[in-house]
Amino acid sequence: MIKASHINKQFGQVKAVDDVSLHIKKGEVICIIGPSGSGKSTLIRCLRGLEVPDSGEIYVHDKKVEFKKNYAQDFAQVGFVFQLFNLFPHKTVLENLTLGPVKAFGVSKEEAEETGKKLLKRVGLLEKADAYPNQLSGGQKQRVAIARALCQNPEVIMFDEPTSALDPEMIGEVLNAMKELADEGMTLAVVTHEMGFARKVATRVLFVDGGKIVEEGTPEQIFENPQSDRLKLFLSQVIHM
Amino acid sequence: MEAITRILTPENLQFMIKGAGYSILVAVGALLGGSVLGLLSAVMKMGKIKILRFIANIYVEVIRGTPMMLQILLLYLCGPVITRAIFGFVFTPNPILVGVIAVGINSGAYTTELFRSAIQSVDKGQWEAAQTIGLSYWQTMRYVILPQAFKRILPPYINEFIVLIKDSSLLASIGAVELLHSAEVLGAKYYNYLVPLLCATVMYLVMTLTISYFARKLERRLAQSD
Repeated sequence: MIKASHINKQFGQVKAVDDVSLHIKKGEVICIIGPSGSGKSTLIRCLRGLEVPDSGEIYVHDKKVEFKKNYAQDFAQVGFVFQLFNLFPHKTVLENLTLGPVKAFGVSKEEAEETGKKLLKRVGLLEKADAYPNQLSGGQKQRVAIARALCQNPEVIMFDEPTSALDPEMIGEVLNAMKELADEGMTLAVVTHEMGFARKVATRVLFVDGGKIVEEGTPEQIFENPQSDRLKLFLSQVIHM
Repeated sequence: MEAITRILTPENLQFMIKGAGYSILVAVGALLGGSVLGLLSAVMKMGKIKILRFIANIYVEVIRGTPMMLQILLLYLCGPVITRAIFGFVFTPNPILVGVIAVGINSGAYTTELFRSAIQSVDKGQWEAAQTIGLSYWQTMRYVILPQAFKRILPPYINEFIVLIKDSSLLASIGAVELLHSAEVLGAKYYNYLVPLLCATVMYLVMTLTISYFARKLERRLAQSD
């Protein structure tokens, strides 16, 4: 569904993504784990066109993305959820959801609102439809962001550390919402530090370090039987007790 | 005392109030025109296209680096000459219209930086979120960035309006009958400049202080909703 071929991205002297190739297939739940600064966020941002790779190709549905021209349309079916939510603070929760469909895709306001309410109900926040983002808790904001990503009827949703900015007691509600999506068959690609989630929900886990995919496999392979020293070290550091 | 009642007759007061009206008209027109220019050149300055960035920079530097009086005179006195040279016709410039254009062009250069800093102060994540829901550059600008930038821009923007009301007095030099010029006319008529000029002072203060009073109130309300 989404294919990256030998992509590179460099910030100054730092190679954030170093010759990575990757194929996300329909129905997969891919978790990308790795130490801070390993380039996993840059990788997923490249896959959504939020960063333009220095070299390499990205294919959405076998269609090569041309980064020269207006390429936003190529990613229309790829939803994205940010670490810091990035909700629009001057719009109500429902308006956050309907803005894209109405302005970018020409959906009628009534239809967009109906879909929006349905999606809010799905993440359990229908009663917050008319609230503003700053009236919500972090966990609620992230669930709204998930609903917003669902509005464009995506085929895959990408998450960039969706729970890293949350208070511990709110992490569960967001992970649950993500797990429900996975259970319904949605394709997900998730950069995360939540090893429990990766272990339980992922169909494939990628361990990224130094801008490269160092190791990949099923959760059992990665967590029970790590091969590389770097992954062993990483797991010993993040999994306490 | 006798001079006051002699000069500030109802007709003359009306004449000056009309002048004040023109001052406000010039300021409003220039503010609106200047906003369009300012927004455009701010976007050009922030963009990736070198030549547009260059044009916007030249515009801002030339306008900010020369006196407004010079710009007004250039447009008023040399405008017809230029149109004759280029398009082959001469027009009789209307001082108020030339005033709105000249002051608007001037204001645009100053509001460029206002717009630019306000737009850049909006979190980069807002652009990215807008991109992920499919909005184009201008849609993002219109529905996501500008509404948020507007809040930050409002206080200096109202200040710009006050500046423009005062700047419109420069149009007296090209014979536009705004507030200052109306005072001069009355002064010449009665051989007494003190009374009309003091009256104009009061009228300017009424306009500017009223506006800044409401600006402060608005600012407090906006600060609360943050």
